Amino acid sequence: MSGGASFRAHLVDTLWVVGVFAFVCAVWEFAVKAFDLPVFVLPPVEDVVADLLSAPGLFASHALFTVGMALAGFAVAASVGLLMAFAVVSSRILDRILMTFLALLHSVPKVALAPLFVIWLGAGFEPKIAIAAMMSVLVIVVDAVAGLRSVDPEMVNLARVYRASPLAIMLKVRLPAALPHIFASWKVAISLSLIGAIVGEYVGGQRGLGYLILVSQGSFDTPRVFASVLLLSVIATALYYLIALAERMFAPWHVSRRAGGH
Amino acid sequence: MSGSPLVEIDKASKIYRSPRGATTAIADVTVQIGDGEFVAVVGPSGCGKCTLLKCVAGLEPLSSGEIRVRGERVDGPPDGLGAVFQRDVLMDWRTALDNVLLPAEFLGLRRADFLPRARELLGLVGLADRANSYPWELSGGMRQRVAIARALLCRPVFLLMDEPFGALDALTRDELNVELQRIWLAEKNTVLFITHGIEEAVFLADRVLVMDRDPGRVALDLEVALPRPRPIAVRDEPAFAAHTAKVRAAMPRAGASRAA
Ligand SMILES: Nc1ncnc2c1ncn2[C@@H]1O[C@H](COP(=O)(O)OP(=O)(O)OP(=O)(O)O)[C@@H](O)[C@H]1O
Ligand SMILES: [Mg+2]
Repeated sequence: MSGGASFRAHLVDTLWVVGVFAFVCAVWEFAVKAFDLPVFVLPPVEDVVADLLSAPGLFASHALFTVGMALAGFAVAASVGLLMAFAVVSSRILDRILMTFLALLHSVPKVALAPLFVIWLGAGFEPKIAIAAMMSVLVIVVDAVAGLRSVDPEMVNLARVYRASPLAIMLKVRLPAALPHIFASWKVAISLSLIGAIVGEYVGGQRGLGYLILVSQGSFDTPRVFASVLLLSVIATALYYLIALAERMFAPWHVSRRAGGH
Repeated sequence: MSGSPLVEIDKASKIYRSPRGATTAIADVTVQIGDGEFVAVVGPSGCGKCTLLKCVAGLEPLSSGEIRVRGERVDGPPDGLGAVFQRDVLMDWRTALDNVLLPAEFLGLRRADFLPRARELLGLVGLADRANSYPWELSGGMRQRVAIARALLCRPVFLLMDEPFGALDALTRDELNVELQRIWLAEKNTVLFITHGIEEAVFLADRVLVMDRDPGRVALDLEVALPRPRPIAVRDEPAFAAHTAKVRAAMPRAGASRAA
């Protein structure tokens, strides 16, 4: 019963997305025709699509690289972030030290640090992963800490009655209770990591959609710039749904309660 | 039928302090609970029953006084404890069966060794067919019954129960009262049982403590010398009624202590 309802809700959602997308394309097409814009300013939609189809292998290999960098950076941020959150929740002193350090990191515009990472780590994949990780680690830690602290204190009491070790309380009581918070932060973090990967490709190296945008811009190949940006939007959306899928698998109680409207 | 005292509560006081002021939850409570004794506590809402239980469980520190279990000062949960709290605190991410198995996991015991007992206990509380349901798929009373099964899993020698049957209908409540008495007679554990039901307290307990509030203290300590096992029909006997009458008389009237 809820399956049918949620399928219809998905269908309605999808139709909305398609509709808005079609509307944007229509306005775009209209602007090009009405103002007679040159291709290097705003290419018509069909030029962008044609460019995408003209070199699928090229786009695919650059896209794959960017996705790889974003996912690697995200994975680093997610694991380091979770360990940091455990530390923050378990100790007052670590709470002070790590949260101050993260606030400091937050105050630095990380994009401005990107060239520095190239100096330190070269033009390979390391600086890209580092920037992608740095972009998303803060939101992951902050939300994971909030989640780990949101657990019902009575549940911790129950665990203490049965002499649960601090580690068991962390992994079997706090962590599951925090999963909804953690997944919510991951949905934001994954797109931040994607931005980080692109910035990394802007400042060094010769692979990835960020690099492709940069060289196409250099030769005024605007359709290719647009094609890359379009591809990036599709990737960002796909990554978001990847996290949503993981949430469905690993926190099903949360998802089904939300759908059930309790 | 009580042996040497298992629990000694000695001039125990608990004051909760917050920026908005201090609340004296219990003041100068002195009670001894014998090994194998079943003690029920009744009293008006807010008289400090939960607080007393939390302190005995070693989950809340006392403000003054001392609680000893087997002669040792309590400063954390003592050995062989089992507990049912006022709220069921089931884990949403675990099935009913996995919730019942939690104490074994936390105590570092082998899960497989307790699987048959977990199923048996679920059957005992009438939930054999809901072992694989998640807590959010259960009714309030069902959830409470899962919590009771969980508390019994590792055969606790000292069982703390805070209004465990509060969310149940009268019939199920009667059944579980009889069942709890049977389990207690078989396992000979010590039970501290909080309830709002005077009849339930007299039916189950060797001793009924009546608490008064502002501050929380023991107003009456009544021995219940009815023979065991007590059938549910014992409640129609004059001896039973004599006990409930004494308890009722000692119960503070609603708002009486505040109105003064
Ligand atoms: N964590 C706490 N912080 C501050 N005050 C508290 C806390 N827990 C309980 N109290 C106060 O202590 C008093 C006793 O509370 P307690 O929960 O022990 O009552 P109770 O007898 O269990 O009531 P009920 O029958 O309604 O469950 C109340 O006045 C309550 O406001
Ligand atoms: Mg209470």
